[in-house]
Amino acid sequence: MGALEKLYYSPAGKAIAGKAGLKEPPRLRRGREWPQGPIVLASIGGGELAAETMRLLGRSTEAPVVDEGADAPGYGSRIGALVVDATEATSIAQLEELRALLRPAVRSIERSGRIVVLARPAAGDWESRTVSRALDGINRTVGKELRGGATATLLYVDPSARAGDLVSTLGFVLQGRAAFVDGQAWTVAGADQPAESLQARPLDGRVVVVTGAARGIGAEIARTLARDGASIVAVDIPPAGESLAAIANEVGGTALQLDITADDAGRRLAEHVAQRGESIYGIVHNAGITRDKMLVNTDAARWASVLDVNLAAQMRINEVLLSADIPGGIADGGRIVGVASTSGLAGNKGQTNYAASKAGVAGLVTAMAPDLAARDITVNAVAPGFIQTEMTQKIPFVQREVFLRSNSLSQGGLPVDVAETIGYLLDPRSQGLTGQVIRVCGQNLVGA
Amino acid sequence: MTHNAVVIGGNRTPFAKAGGPYAEASNHDLLTAALDGLIARFGLAGERIGEVAGGAVLKHSKDFNLTREAVLSSALAPSTPACDLQQACGTGLETTIYIANKIRLGQIDSGISAGVDSTSDAPIVVSDSLRRTLLKANAARSAADRVKALAKIRPSHLKPQAPSVAEPRTGLSMGEHQALTTERWGITREAQDEIAAASHHKLAAAWADGFFDDLVTPYLGVPRDAILRPDTSVEKLASLRPAFGGPRGSMTAGNSTALSDGAATALLASEEWAAEHHLPVLAKVVDAEVAAVDHPGGDDLLLGPVAAAGRMLARQGLSVADFDLVEIHEAFASTVLATLKAWDDEDYCRGLGLDGKLGTIDPSRLNVTGSSLAVGHPFAATGARIVPTLAKLLHAKGPGSKGLISMCAAGGQGVVAILEAV
Amino acid sequence: MRGAQVAGREVEHLDAIPGMGAAFARAMVPSRTSRVTLPRRISTVHDVTQNRARLADYARVCGFTLRDAVPPTWLHVLTFPLHIHLLGDPQSSVKLVGAVHTSNSMTLHRPVTADERLELSVHLEGPRPHRRGALVDLIGQVRVDGEPVWDGVTTYLASGASVEGEPEEVERAPFEPRSPQARWRLPADLGRQYRRVSQDPNPIHTSRVAAKAFGFARPIIHGMWTHARALAALENRLPAAFTTHVDFVKPILLPSSVGFVASETPGGVLADVVTKDGAKPLLRMRVEEAA
Repeated sequence: MGALEKLYYSPAGKAIAGKAGLKEPPRLRRGREWPQGPIVLASIGGGELAAETMRLLGRSTEAPVVDEGADAPGYGSRIGALVVDATEATSIAQLEELRALLRPAVRSIERSGRIVVLARPAAGDWESRTVSRALDGINRTVGKELRGGATATLLYVDPSARAGDLVSTLGFVLQGRAAFVDGQAWTVAGADQPAESLQARPLDGRVVVVTGAARGIGAEIARTLARDGASIVAVDIPPAGESLAAIANEVGGTALQLDITADDAGRRLAEHVAQRGESIYGIVHNAGITRDKMLVNTDAARWASVLDVNLAAQMRINEVLLSADIPGGIADGGRIVGVASTSGLAGNKGQTNYAASKAGVAGLVTAMAPDLAARDITVNAVAPGFIQTEMTQKIPFVQREVFLRSNSLSQGGLPVDVAETIGYLLDPRSQGLTGQVIRVCGQNLVGA
Repeated sequence: MTHNAVVIGGNRTPFAKAGGPYAEASNHDLLTAALDGLIARFGLAGERIGEVAGGAVLKHSKDFNLTREAVLSSALAPSTPACDLQQACGTGLETTIYIANKIRLGQIDSGISAGVDSTSDAPIVVSDSLRRTLLKANAARSAADRVKALAKIRPSHLKPQAPSVAEPRTGLSMGEHQALTTERWGITREAQDEIAAASHHKLAAAWADGFFDDLVTPYLGVPRDAILRPDTSVEKLASLRPAFGGPRGSMTAGNSTALSDGAATALLASEEWAAEHHLPVLAKVVDAEVAAVDHPGGDDLLLGPVAAAGRMLARQGLSVADFDLVEIHEAFASTVLATLKAWDDEDYCRGLGLDGKLGTIDPSRLNVTGSSLAVGHPFAATGARIVPTLAKLLHAKGPGSKGLISMCAAGGQGVVAILEAV
Repeated sequence: MRGAQVAGREVEHLDAIPGMGAAFARAMVPSRTSRVTLPRRISTVHDVTQNRARLADYARVCGFTLRDAVPPTWLHVLTFPLHIHLLGDPQSSVKLVGAVHTSNSMTLHRPVTADERLELSVHLEGPRPHRRGALVDLIGQVRVDGEPVWDGVTTYLASGASVEGEPEEVERAPFEPRSPQARWRLPADLGRQYRRVSQDPNPIHTSRVAAKAFGFARPIIHGMWTHARALAALENRLPAAFTTHVDFVKPILLPSSVGFVASETPGGVLADVVTKDGAKPLLRMRVEEAA
């Protein structure tokens, strides 16, 4: 423990920290828990999509309280969530309707409550495109103003999407699974998904490969996906074999000791799956390393190892697993999930190599997605912010502490938060999402 | 109805020198770790397996049900039965034969063979005289009798007796026996050191290649075989002093196996079971044979496998030249060399009651990923190390490739088996 | 995260796990006052490495298989010197001697491996009223890089002490006598063996004289050994992350033979360490999968 770290924990340090507003952070609702209070549903312009989706989800809804400018009405008691269908909102004037819905809701939202706005992606005339973007500014700001672990989410819904396409998304956002996803916006397209409710075990009988599964976030991903029914192929480097075996046995999956940077890694992965007469439904490229140094001290070796493990290896593996008719490869209708990082999106001192690799992951998924659409394979990434794991220990104390506190939820995320978001992307009903990067960062101040 | 017994794969802990990184681990701990790694590799958590057969050469009396206890500590279903078998250094191969035979007879459809030894966890026994005194005291009817019995204990009785590797009938240690064989067969120091250096180099290359990635799972932070010395050489080995055979002997610590700790397992099944469980099939167990020599009568202690191989090959209509790969357990480098010479010796083979010599093999087919000199030799584990290793190598060579395993064991015994890739 | 335990409490940083000597000597002097005073601070040690040899010895004495993932009771053992440190504090009117370990709870949030470096913290809470005195809780936490991986609550009864208020009613699952499914033979030197691995030097576990002084005919085994042994008996039926609670109903004299029964219920495993004939409970344990 460094001197600063000691000081921070000392009584004087705590007092200063208290004055600086560093209070104990709120405890977040997690897992498949719905909000406790009622879910309030509102529509601007008469859109029905959110209402239909809520019906499919089997959740009852209540009518909103609308601020008519008098003396700031409230709900009387806490509400669990506000879902606003703004898919028919196209004018700047209609933004006032949103304000009038948000004001009472923000006051009355419960701890870990949700504010979700459904809107159209930018299209049409100048004004409707403007409105689409304005909503993003509102969403980001609401996220920052909400307290007690409540979050805001903006969902851009393509006109082709039906309620069945939105079930996995709205279910994820409203449940505790999205605990650490805050102030984010992403797009859901139409994919002819059946008009059904959430599935309890959406990955039942499906083979999902998780790299870097021996510990930390990877182990949690394996556990969470196994809970959702997946048959896990847990991959990690051979020296991590004992922890890897323990995880594989815990989740009833199989362990594959494999250095993903090996030339034949993709082939050996496919062989492992093919030998069991199966093909891969999903692969989560979670394995990653850091070799942090300021650029002035970054040599070729530090550069190469990070780029190779974090980026090049998964490109090579994807290529093998996607090649036509390879036994044990990724089947049509499959899922590829990369793990990017807010460091990649925003840049981070001392992490040029890491940022390159992680921004590269974001680039990779946007590049691959359209090419694989014909095979119904979706390619997405999550971008974790500050998640408390063993690897983050290497970050200097002050930076770590600032990270922890510099997001809208005033805390670091847990590995399970990343895992749940990956589970959502892997859900067969999330067919309408591809080429997207969802940040799991508690709305970190850094980055776009 | 008979079935094919096939090798699906294996798992072992890295092997390490006695008293090294596993000094605190018991046979139970090591065997459980090897089993758990096997279960993880093949997704068997919670499964009931037909039977697990394992054993250890050096075993505490409390570990009478060692394998069953390890099964209960492992991720296998508790309804998986297990038994302990022991045939000295042949144990890990003998347990494989036992499981394979049961599968072939249709008595079980899946099984795990295993072996473990920890010379670090070797039982320390009390001397016979002390044991008798204590038993007498225990049986005493009165306190006075008990005191009387206990009063007979002498300081010399209290000296613990570490388990001995000496042959009970000859009083000679295994190394001393082998020194006699080395001299009798005219095995040179150079030839032995070459075998030893090659073993290290081949094992190092296999590790570097990732060959063991699906055969070994790390344990207690040990990622790979700890005895391995990739940088050893014939020159370095030549500088070692003789350990057996007197000051002019040719056997050294470098060309003899080190006392080791480790555990190994192999997963076997009927082809049907493997197919139902979507598991890979590497090779089938074709045949096996056990033999023994009259070492108290002066025979070479560790050449038991020659008669065993001769009888098995005659039955199969094969010669040693028919094998794509051969694994001869490196108890000592000179054991390997003497075995090769004996196979090619007409008189010796006829003396064993065989029809003639077995022939020679291409040295490039022998122990291609190294053997006990470099890996280490936790006695009972070695057979269960060799079986999956050879099965994997044969599978890579293609269907029909044949492999021969030859293992010497204490008591003048030898165990051999044939695997064939499917 | 700091967790709720930082709130309003001073944090004391120790450079290393405190030795048992002086603190233990102070903790051994029974308290004469009936008014309960407790140090309010949190004692912490950072960067604690685990000794594999001692872990192996611990596993052997308690019946665990030696694995990379450590038993949760091992983490309790690692925090124990901080218990002594706090109970040996001059501000503490509750001393180890004379206090009875009545119950213990712990949650393993995720598997912890032997190579992980740990941050340990312990503080005292209470007193709470009890019909025979006052209850105090030692709240322990183990973190790995800020992430809580283990939480423990050790509850001692300071008999004779008094606290205002009504004792809280504790609901216990009814005990039904049945034939034990296992029998454990506890040798006379078990207290010595467990002292070696736990470094709990309380002589009532090892000395007949000390045991007599506290009203026991013979030395009694550490409650935490019995707890660990009971968990070891469930070994591969335990989930990866779980909460376990034990009530120490009666002390177990050494040597002796005791019984063990366990049954799986929808909520988790219920297990009892019982008298040899199964008639009376000695330790009652619950294990539930952690949320």
